[in-house]
Amino acid sequence: MLSGACGRLASALRGTLAPPSAVARRCLHASGSLSSAEKSERTRKPPQAFDPALLEFLVCPLSKKPLRYEASTNELINEELGIAYPVIDGIPNMIPQAARMTHQNKKQEETERH
Amino acid sequence: MMFYPMCRRFQFSFQLPGVYQVFESVARKYDVMNDMMSLGIHRVWKDLLLLKMHPFPGTQLLDVAGGTGDIAFRFLNYVQAQHQRKQKRQLRAQQNLSWEEIAKKYQNQEDSLGGSRVMVCDINKEMLKMGKQKACARGYKAGLAWVLGDAEELPFDDDKFDVYTIAFGIRNVTHIDRALQEAHRVLKPGGRFLCLEFSQVNNPLVSRLYDVYSFQVIPVLGEVIAGDWKSYQYLVESIRQFPPQEEFKEMIEDAGFQKVTYENLTSGIVAIHSGFKL
Repeated sequence: MLSGACGRLASALRGTLAPPSAVARRCLHASGSLSSAEKSERTRKPPQAFDPALLEFLVCPLSKKPLRYEASTNELINEELGIAYPVIDGIPNMIPQAARMTHQNKKQEETERH
Repeated sequence: MMFYPMCRRFQFSFQLPGVYQVFESVARKYDVMNDMMSLGIHRVWKDLLLLKMHPFPGTQLLDVAGGTGDIAFRFLNYVQAQHQRKQKRQLRAQQNLSWEEIAKKYQNQEDSLGGSRVMVCDINKEMLKMGKQKACARGYKAGLAWVLGDAEELPFDDDKFDVYTIAFGIRNVTHIDRALQEAHRVLKPGGRFLCLEFSQVNNPLVSRLYDVYSFQVIPVLGEVIAGDWKSYQYLVESIRQFPPQEEFKEMIEDAGFQKVTYENLTSGIVAIHSGFKL
């Protein structure tokens, strides 16, 4: 029992290098008193959020032009070529084969109407 | 879909659907298998790669085929340790620090990485997911980004990164020359290309032991631990068909890199190739 507590102390002290939320999560787990909903909220949020700072670095792999982030559909859109790259679990999928056509669908609809 | 690359040396003993599926099935057990197969030595190889890189705080790293994040985490640890050492030195000197800087240190407002950033790019979603889970579990948050991308068509602009690394990934790329050209494109002038990859053994005794170990032991381990004989046989055969040190060095030079050198580790089982964009 003592060794277990010592181990937790040691890991908590070591964990001061890690951000406080990780240590807090471990303490929550150890006490087990606080609601699990709070814990799951904290772990659920980071994976789905897309960091807009990535936009500085990311470009379309085909045309090498900058992209626009569309928050509603969670996609990165290249206006010129009319393609959209999905963002899954916070990870942008920049494989050309996975990208979705946007403009071409609209053009097809227009020609169908005419 | 990525189809199986043409072998240069000899025909593979069986047909695999593709490199992508191999890594999809091994992603979950990737780290465990690495430890088992290399008897933990892969950690030393990766540490040596970081030592060779010797990044300072503020470095922008692109880790391609970095899947589960081994190189990225080591990079973050390294620059954080460098930054802390620098801060300790400054505090001990206590001569050149302004009051604002001292106040900031007490408030812990300074960026613990000193502006360093690492992008992990991989073509395989499962490997990246594994890497992201590991990062959350170990508490890495700042300075880390995950991107699903193709090494032959990188989704990054020109002249963006200080260092480009690809550890045990380039032999799985279909067109290695295209990957090298992309590496040259995204690096800043003065940037460094580092490749850690299996290579040709230069010692005949070690070579024989290595062959026995590769073809008799590793696929068995793959079956027992990961339940996947074929993927690990693919691994071993892909190592054999990758060009040797000098040939790979020439390929890197063809892509436009200069001052290309290589360093053999463990009698040439693994080699670190390095080149600069000048």
